Amino acid sequence: MIDLRRRERKSLMVMMRSSIGPLLIVAIALVGVVILSLLLSKTPGKTLRYFFLGPIQNTYYFGNMLNGAIPLIFGGLGISLAMRSGNFNLGGEGQIYSGALVATLCAIALAPLGIAGAVIALIAGAAMGGFLGGLSGFFRMKWNTSELITSFLISNAVVLLVNYLIAGPFMDPSTNLIATRKIPEAFRLARILEPSNLSSALFLAITAVIVVQWYLYKTKSGYELRISGLNSSFARYGGIHTNWYMVLPMMLSGALYGLGGGIAIYGTYYSCMKDFSGGMGWNGLAVALIAKYKPAAVIPAAIFFAYIEAGARNAMLHSDVTFEIASIVQSLVFFLVTSAVLQSVGQKKRGH
Amino acid sequence: MEYAVEMHGITRIYPENNLRANDAVDLTLRKGEILCLAGENGAGKTTLMKILYGLERPDEGDIRVMGKPVVIGSPLDANRLGIGMVHQHFMLVDDFTVAQNVVMGVEPTLYGGLYNINEAEKKVAKVVSDHHFSVDVKKKVKSLTVGQKQQAEIMKMLYRDVDILILDEPTAVLTEQETEALFVTLRELARLGKSLILITHKLNEIKAISHRVAIMRQGKLIGTYNTAEVDELEISRLMMGQSVTLHVDRVDTGLDAKPVIRFENVSVLRRGQQRPLLDKVTFSANSGEILGFAGVGGNGLGVLEAVLGGFVPVTSGKIYHNEVETTNCGTANLRNDGLAYVPADRIEVGSAVAASVAENLIVDARSSFTRHGVMNRKKIEAHAQKLLEKYSVKGTPGMSIGTLSGGNIQKVILAREIEQYKDYIVLSEPTWGLDIASSQYVYERMAELRGAGAAVILISSNLDEILAVADRIIIFYRGAIVAMLAGNEALGASKEELGAYMLGLKRQEAIHD
Amino acid sequence: MQFLLPILHSSVTIMTPLLLAAMGGLFTELSGMLNIALEGLLLMGAFCGIIFTYFTGSMVLGVLLGILCTMLLSAILAAVTLNLRSNVFITGLATNLFASGLTVVLSFKLFGNKGVVVFDSIPSLPVLRIPALAQIPVFGDIFIGHSAFIYLSWLLLAVCYVVLYKTPFGFRLRAAGLHQKALSSLGMDPNRYRFIAFLISGFTCGLGGALLTLNLGAFVPNITAGKGWIALVVIFLGNKKPLGLLIAAVVFGFADAFSNYAQGALNVPADFILAIPYVFTLLAMLGFSIYSKSKDSFES
Repeated sequence: MIDLRRRERKSLMVMMRSSIGPLLIVAIALVGVVILSLLLSKTPGKTLRYFFLGPIQNTYYFGNMLNGAIPLIFGGLGISLAMRSGNFNLGGEGQIYSGALVATLCAIALAPLGIAGAVIALIAGAAMGGFLGGLSGFFRMKWNTSELITSFLISNAVVLLVNYLIAGPFMDPSTNLIATRKIPEAFRLARILEPSNLSSALFLAITAVIVVQWYLYKTKSGYELRISGLNSSFARYGGIHTNWYMVLPMMLSGALYGLGGGIAIYGTYYSCMKDFSGGMGWNGLAVALIAKYKPAAVIPAAIFFAYIEAGARNAMLHSDVTFEIASIVQSLVFFLVTSAVLQSVGQKKRGH
Repeated sequence: MEYAVEMHGITRIYPENNLRANDAVDLTLRKGEILCLAGENGAGKTTLMKILYGLERPDEGDIRVMGKPVVIGSPLDANRLGIGMVHQHFMLVDDFTVAQNVVMGVEPTLYGGLYNINEAEKKVAKVVSDHHFSVDVKKKVKSLTVGQKQQAEIMKMLYRDVDILILDEPTAVLTEQETEALFVTLRELARLGKSLILITHKLNEIKAISHRVAIMRQGKLIGTYNTAEVDELEISRLMMGQSVTLHVDRVDTGLDAKPVIRFENVSVLRRGQQRPLLDKVTFSANSGEILGFAGVGGNGLGVLEAVLGGFVPVTSGKIYHNEVETTNCGTANLRNDGLAYVPADRIEVGSAVAASVAENLIVDARSSFTRHGVMNRKKIEAHAQKLLEKYSVKGTPGMSIGTLSGGNIQKVILAREIEQYKDYIVLSEPTWGLDIASSQYVYERMAELRGAGAAVILISSNLDEILAVADRIIIFYRGAIVAMLAGNEALGASKEELGAYMLGLKRQEAIHD
Repeated sequence: MQFLLPILHSSVTIMTPLLLAAMGGLFTELSGMLNIALEGLLLMGAFCGIIFTYFTGSMVLGVLLGILCTMLLSAILAAVTLNLRSNVFITGLATNLFASGLTVVLSFKLFGNKGVVVFDSIPSLPVLRIPALAQIPVFGDIFIGHSAFIYLSWLLLAVCYVVLYKTPFGFRLRAAGLHQKALSSLGMDPNRYRFIAFLISGFTCGLGGALLTLNLGAFVPNITAGKGWIALVVIFLGNKKPLGLLIAAVVFGFADAFSNYAQGALNVPADFILAIPYVFTLLAMLGFSIYSKSKDSFES
């Protein structure tokens, strides 16, 4: 009993120690916000107040911030799955955008089917993202082409293609927006924190975290995926079909992005607008990196990024800075998040 | 007495595990002598030499070189003091020529900045002729033999005019003949007044080359002896703390030997290359025997291992397991078919160092812990606990396997593969880098498997090992079988005889199998 | 075939920033670092080159200051990657994000505008005319009448070759990429050579980026539009050799010039034209890896 408690305390210590690195990076990012505001704003006090307090000043802003975290949770999960298997998926931008478009178009077409149609349309959106991710995985399996670069290139091309489709063949002529028609009202997810945009999509995101966690640690396929990522020679030696684990995780990763795109439409946007998802893919990557590819840690990491974005948007609306300071802060995180030196802060000192 | 090096009270503690790698070690090296630094794996030999070469800093102790107290902060400092080190793993750039490798860091220049390659080649050629090396300085390193690469490593140090030369297990990868040639060079260097330290744990080499032998055990220096005054048994006793001889009894299992794995004219050809990596290889591995494969690196043993493991497809020929064809069916199918396999590379292939011991133990048996796609954690932990006890591994199921010692990692791999085996097992370099006690442990398990009727396939570049345990010996040269020794031929074979086959100096007229 | 000449002429202009970025990337690549930050460094050079030219009134000074700023960014990238031991891919991504964020933020701060900023008052790129060469038909039409910086970049390619293959520095830098312990065991720090390689890529991208904006007389957000990524592909397709880089850059320069022509002459949607570099790069990568795979495999 005593031994058990000691072990518990020890694992708590380890957990606290291993979160010092990410917390330090979060702190540096917040200091970065302060410095940027001091440099760029004529009224830094006001800018900072809107930046830091804006997102939590009332239900409306707070709900919107949480709502912004939802696609990042899906993206972060997608990246985590790919990374755990030793694959890089840099195609999030295209996967989320094309997944959203396909889900929207299918939802409109399947309106008569009711709830079944809504589910099928979401699956179609996920399949779209999964196809794009899987394509890069396939190229790597077949010809050893770097999935990291192909996923990025495919995504960039797909974003442009989707732009064309939204502005061209699928544009809704009845509005001034560059957007598709709206999905049926019956398909839209319920708002759970009026007057904000936060919808029941939040529960879907949390469910996704639980499912991914279960898959990675409890199933045989999850075991095979993790072992392939830790050492693919060993996995192959152990009789695991490593070729399959170049394709499957990339597919799942893309599918989670695609699903995130579809759910963003169902919960928030209702129609696929041009560039609505710009940056979500990269933020998903940042979330996964800061969560160290642990599904449960994706939730706080996603909320942190949503907070930064909401803060920047608030500061832009009410003060004299532009929204892009968010991407500078985000780059700060990218610079530091994989640093072995910063990660080791607070951990037991190691020799070389 | 004049000393080239005096190390006093050297202590080095690794903070991550509080290990005293060196514990108040006193070591002296006389001018012009060859000193062997002997000890088991993990005795602290390499750490001590890294300290002398400036790759690690001691926590306590002081060093004198040529009588003067010194602080050695980097290999550059060491070079300046006339100390050079030849590492166990070659530090050579394959795509550069010998001359370019040798002069790197102290390149001769032209017009105040351009690399003077002619001058470099001339200077290095002089080192070659001065010391009777047999290397073309204009050749790229990748086209050299292992022995020549080692010469290039030694030349690097001679070019820097070192007086004190440290060699870390220099013979580990050499053939008998190459080792002999190296020893001629080393004796010559000592005659010219250079002082040499050889790290080794091979007893016969200590006797053959050294003037004195310093023996380390568990971080401490046990003593330094004149080599002429101690015999091999005594050295081994000092290294081990107890005397152990490696031996595996050969017993007649009384079972009918039947071929378990059979190769029929198997060839492997890389696209665009003329010479096959495996050249019409035919043999059978029978039940109840240990079949040993010997050969010099680069002559096909590695490819044979990869083919047996299903990593490399064969170009022509057929492979049978119990007379059912398994040619090119891939590792996953071979595993289902009963492949048990201890790979040469236990870190890169045999384990996932960041995964737990338990996860490492189930990689080839994962399906038996799975129902409807979901794994049973409790069963896996219990299984791991059972195996750790059965194979006396020091570790727990939850530890990541990378934190275990080399010997314990190998025990985990053996445990997994022996539990998995059906009727044959492949072991490649199973004792490489292990100490005597762990090696003996591996041999005993192999003998048990043979006793149980398994076909045991042993691939090894260690001739002592092949001679000690194999019932039959097959020798590879340039990808082809050049000799097959069975029965008394195998038992009575000498290392020199095997060496002659391995170097292609001799081959059997008709290879019987 | 008359329509081809202007395309070829403009492809020389287009390939130069590509070639410059690839040259710098070659140094990092050979030192053992996958440098995906070329995109961000180019963008930094593009922005800083033109604003400093605008503020100082001197093109030479402006380009030099632009190069300096780009080298500063590459120094940060190198320090974070090498000294703080971070994943070079993620820090490269960070550099790209940082550059795209910073250029917009500064453009908004300085000019109150997040879109295209046109600089009327800056001098245009000095055009070098060599009359003797201009006489040669076709060749003259294609290679004459470019800015002096373009000829300078070709000169730099020769310098790049000499440094990599004819100096001790070049050998050590390549050794850092091929077998870093061969260097460190002799007391040389491989990271020192990698750091310098990052600085060199900052230098060439600073220059290459400046050519992009000065040629246009304006700063357009994200003006690099994937050129840094294509430079990376140029390095791989050029087989990591200076001459190979030149050939690959010419091919991509032509493809880009042709797509610009197509946009004007044929009625293709702009999004498709913008997608061409990515699709082309993807196809080139696939072709290259299919070729490598077929060369490096077992016969069966």
